Amino acid sequence: MNKPKVKPGAKKHTLNFLFREKLNNTAEGFRHNYCYQCGACVADCPTAMYSNDFNPRLIILKTLLGFEDELIRPDSVIWNCTNCYTCSERCPQEVRPIDVIIAMKNICVDENKAPELIRKVSDTVLVDGITTKVTSLTERRRKELGLAPVKSYPVDEVNKILEVD
Amino acid sequence: MKYAPFFGCMMTTKYPQFEAAVRKTAAKIGMELVDIDGFTCCPDPIYFQARDKIEWYTVAARNISLVEDTGLDIITTCSGCTATLSEVNIHLKEDAELRELVNKKLKKIGREFKGTIDVRHAVTVLRDDFGYDKVAETVVNPLKGLKVAVHYGCHLLKPSHIMRVDDPDHPTILQNLLKAIGAEPVPHDKNLLCCGRACMNSQIPDNMVIDIIESIQKSKADCMGLICPTCFDEFDMGQIIRGRKYKKQLDVPVIYYFQMLGIAQGLTPHEVGLDMHKIKAVQLFDKLAAAS
Repeated sequence: MNKPKVKPGAKKHTLNFLFREKLNNTAEGFRHNYCYQCGACVADCPTAMYSNDFNPRLIILKTLLGFEDELIRPDSVIWNCTNCYTCSERCPQEVRPIDVIIAMKNICVDENKAPELIRKVSDTVLVDGITTKVTSLTERRRKELGLAPVKSYPVDEVNKILEVD
Repeated sequence: MKYAPFFGCMMTTKYPQFEAAVRKTAAKIGMELVDIDGFTCCPDPIYFQARDKIEWYTVAARNISLVEDTGLDIITTCSGCTATLSEVNIHLKEDAELRELVNKKLKKIGREFKGTIDVRHAVTVLRDDFGYDKVAETVVNPLKGLKVAVHYGCHLLKPSHIMRVDDPDHPTILQNLLKAIGAEPVPHDKNLLCCGRACMNSQIPDNMVIDIIESIQKSKADCMGLICPTCFDEFDMGQIIRGRKYKKQLDVPVIYYFQMLGIAQGLTPHEVGLDMHKIKAVQLFDKLAAAS
């Protein structure tokens, strides 16, 4: 029997199906299973046009093969997705690569492998109720334009509905 | 007709001139805005959605449920809020299991998502409930001779199965709304390119913004017209930052559609806060006034 030749010292790769299971259990992550690698998502992807290492077809292929270490990390290419939804428009299989990318971002945050900025910005919704700051310039400009002052935000309610059951 | 406006974080705090422009122009069209108390951030479709999609659904569903009490439709004026509230509204309407999960959380504050209203961007309401002719009827000062390069931004159009606004590859709504106020929409190559705001590697949006602005400069338009405060951030302050960084002349004035509508309806540039922009846009209208 002909055994495939393996270079001495070459790294052995095995499929990581556990990662696919993890994705299946994350909102919208199951969609990666539908991908048949046609590549319709690539041509009009703005990030793919502007960077050499971003390709939505390859990202989905890597989910299928379970390249978890490469995808789930703070410097993963997934963080360069523009969230424009063009891939979702082009995809004939309803993979909607962006939705799979968002599911992977959720996994990153859950496992503390997301860029710090994600927690920092989204935490402001729990602290202030909004992601921007009300400054003295805000108040001055609103007055000048004849707008009412900014009302307070019901932060307590937000925290209550986000309590873990 | 009555609507519940959702202005969101950016327009309320950073660019109140857009909120003012919407409020001042809506009245003249016959769009009655009924303010609802108790909104929070939509929450934003980039950072908050990346944090946890179920939490994102929950906070958005709370905002929507506040309006459901009144039976009015929500009108959004920011593409980010449109993305979040439309997607959450439609997903929760269509997915009973998800709705149940979210409602269990909302029950803690005595609220429930029922799925009884729609979320619509204000420009969609102008087109569908009033029509281009009605918009044109409110014009007293047509913006004749003003050449506007449209920047659509992503979330008015996409994902189209959620937004249901226009053809995502060949949209016409903003050009038609500009024609209704007497302005001239000027085609340019990059009108559908994303502003790149969500990318972590800043080199990507830098190049996108420069390409979009250079495409507009080539089109000989007087200004860029858009409907999203996040894109505005990328192009107003963003041109100044990139102009310095890359030693380029990037100085295309950026104007929110409802500011132009306001000026066409007889408001002054000051009343719609055009003087609050980093790249000065006021002179454009002085020039128009002098020419007419």
